[in-house]
Order: sequence, then C-alpha cells, then structure tokens
Amino acid sequence: MTDRTPASPLDPDRVDRVLAPFAADGGRLGVVVEDLDGTAIGGSAAAGDRVTRDIASNGGTVARLVATGPAAGEPAVSAALDALAIGLGELAEVSTRIPPSELALGRLHQRSIVSLRAPEVPGYDLASHYEAAREIGGDFFELFRLRRRRRTIGVVIADVTGKGIAAGLMMAFARPVIHAALDAAPGPAVALERTNRILVEELHTRLFITALVGSLDAGSGRLRVANAGHEPPLLVPGDGRPVLNVTCGGLLLGAFTSLGLDETEVQLAPGDLLLLYTDGVTDAADASGERFGEPRLYATLDATRGRSAHEVVAAIRDEVAAFRGAVEPTDDVTIVAVGRHS
Amino acid sequence: MALQTTVERVEARVPVTVVALDGELDASTYEHLIDDVRGLYQDGARKVVLDLSGLTYMASSGLIALHSIVQVMHGEQPPDLEGGWSAFHALGNAAEGGKQEDVLLAGAQPGVTRVLERTGLDQLFSSYPDRASAIAAA
Repeated sequence: MTDRTPASPLDPDRVDRVLAPFAADGGRLGVVVEDLDGTAIGGSAAAGDRVTRDIASNGGTVARLVATGPAAGEPAVSAALDALAIGLGELAEVSTRIPPSELALGRLHQRSIVSLRAPEVPGYDLASHYEAAREIGGDFFELFRLRRRRRTIGVVIADVTGKGIAAGLMMAFARPVIHAALDAAPGPAVALERTNRILVEELHTRLFITALVGSLDAGSGRLRVANAGHEPPLLVPGDGRPVLNVTCGGLLLGAFTSLGLDETEVQLAPGDLLLLYTDGVTDAADASGERFGEPRLYATLDATRGRSAHEVVAAIRDEVAAFRGAVEPTDDVTIVAVGRHS
Repeated sequence: MALQTTVERVEARVPVTVVALDGELDASTYEHLIDDVRGLYQDGARKVVLDLSGLTYMASSGLIALHSIVQVMHGEQPPDLEGGWSAFHALGNAAEGGKQEDVLLAGAQPGVTRVLERTGLDQLFSSYPDRASAIAAA
C-alpha cells in the first residue's frame, strides 16, 4: 500500500465498495472515480469511450465520475451516471465530517464478492454472507457506526428489484444515499422517507428497492427498525422461546410519493440473535422448482441456537446451497446476523 | 420456470380483458408480461382483470410488472425496460388518490398476496377472490 493522502473527501475504500458491482460486468461498462487531478480513487475502467460527470459536494466539485466501455454512451447509463454522481456527492459530504478511521472499521469478509466490512462492537457478534447471482444483482447491506453516535450501529439490508446494469447502478446509488440518510436522520423511518424522496423526485427510476433499516444502541441493546417492503427480521431469543418474526412493514422505496413508515422497537438481550435476509434465501429453488421457504429457515435457526452469528450465517448459507443442489442461483443471497453475547 | 398468459375478452358492464397468469412471475418473465399488456392496450383494452389463480410464485421483479401494467393502462408509456432509468412518475399513494380501477386482481394465492402486502403494492389494486367476482366488479 502506498501512503495516499486523499485529495478528495471520497475515501478510496468506500468508492471501491460503491463501484464494486460494475467490476463483474464483463467489460461493457467500467466506472471509476477520479480526483480533480485525474488520478483514480477507486473503481475499475473498461476500454472504450469516456463519459464524465462532476461529483459535487458542499457547493463545489470534489471529484469526477468516469464511465468507460461500450455501454458508457447508452441513454439509460447516462441517466444512471447522473444519479450515481448525486449519490457519491452525498457520500463525500458525510465523509468530510467523519475521521477516515471510522469509515474502515473491522475486518474483511473474505467470502463476499462485494468486499464488506463490519465494525467490531464489544458485546456483539456481527456476521454476514453475500453471494451474487450470475447477473449483476441488486442486494446490498451495511453495518456501520453512525456519525457522532459511535455507540449506535446502523443496519441496512436492501434488494433492488430487477437485474442487470440498471439494478447494479441503482444499488450503487442507493447505498450511499441510505447510509448518509441514516447518519443524518433522527431515526430509520425518517432515513427511508428521505431516501424515497430522492429516488422518486430527483432520480425518476422505475426500479424499486425493498429496504430494512435499523439503528442499534449497542449499550442498551435497543434496536429501532423501519421496513420499506423488505422481509421482516427474525429474532432468535436466547431464552429458548420460539423464533419470532419482528412484525414491521410498509411501502417499498421508489413507487410512492411518501411512505409514512412506522418504527418498531426490538430489545436485544444477551443471548439473542437477530437475522436479516433477502428473498434470495427463501426463494432459492431446487431442481423440482420447490422453494427453500420460511419453514426451512426457521428450522435452521432453531437448530443453531446458542451458536455465534458467524456460525448461524454459515449454517444458513450451507443449508441453502445443499437445498439448491446443482441449480444455478437466479437471485442474490444475503444473510446478516447480529448476535448479542453480553 | 415459465409464465404462460391466456387472454380472454368478456362483455360485462364494460368490455373486460382477462389475462390469466400460469406459472411464475420473476426476473425472467416480467418483461414479457408488460409487453403483452402493452399490446392489449394498443388493441383497445381499457379494463384488465389479472387472474392470478394459476400464479404459483411472484418475485420482487413481478412488482415492477404490476406497477408498469398500471402505467400502461393509464395510457402512459413505461420507460425503456432494458435501461430502466428513464423518467417516470411515481403513482400517488392510495391515501391520496384511491385505488386505480383500470387493473383488477383476481384469485391471488396466499404467497402472492403476502408479497403485495409486504411491499404495499396491494394499495394500488382492488383484489377479488376469483375471476367472476372481479369481472362483475369491473
């Protein structure tokens, strides 16, 4: 590693994470962020035409978004680049107020295609698994410490409907927007409302996003969640009670002008585990077309009671893979577990 | 898994076009469904009943199809499917404008109903237990 002092407020690690979906696109579209001197901060380029957008933050241009490759000039990509530049600008604005050390906490999850990091939180065990389908998919998730509220952990899991470049770009856009909104908002419901407004009013997309967003106060174990059309989280109580579906729900992002979401509060006691997942888990199909379904997920959670979040995530991953057999996954699979051990 | 659509025109109080869906509505089939309904609209259909009794599974991409079908039946041209990023107008909330009445749902199985309820898209549609009651209400 060379010692880079970023000339822009965009952290190379974050940019790589945001742009990671495009690395899988087989050379049709490369997306790179460059600083104002033209030095690449992150992303990966493809051969071909160059299309650029300014990334503005706090009223000035802080970096440039550069798309390359045969797809770079397509009208759909053009609109998406506008959106991505907005998203990166939001991220830059947040980044200027957070010390870089807080942006890259924790350890790398090796199995992930999109490299994802979870913060180390004393008393908790945070684990995740992300597995992309062959096409660019739309799942994403994040676990991060909230700005100025270091004891509060932001939890995000989301699924962009649809497939291909458009879904990948939407995900790359929505991820920093949700992150920034959760950092800035008083709670998850407001964060989702703000994200939806940006999607509907500024972005004009026809893709939807289901998103489950929470803020966990690490000290008390109090978790506030708001749910925009996503699978509700499952709580595995440490005291042996049955697996609980945390009832919460509401309109998905991108389809309605306002959401009016409620927040649900969950108390995580030592020994409890909260599971978040995308429909790639329950909709995984075997050769006969049968779905993995919720009963198998509940059974797996029951069978792994008392184990660490990493072990629970690994068990679900393995159960889904064994169920699917040789059938190629058609949807991303994302599993996130938040275990409280003390 | 494939999706089969069967179209039937029925003379009720108004002419109704019934589109029966059999199979699975997912990322591999939803675009065809939108194209089918666009064709029906161009042929003059103005009231559509989607008979979901044979629909065994609906993925989240099926939601795009249902949303786009409402737009098509409103006479709007849904954006380019391949790109998916062109301008579109979000439909108003049910609380603001009420359910639209151009597209009715009939006979949805519990799994499909769950997806609609979870995501709030059930707020856009009047749903009926079966095809006959939907046609009678159209």
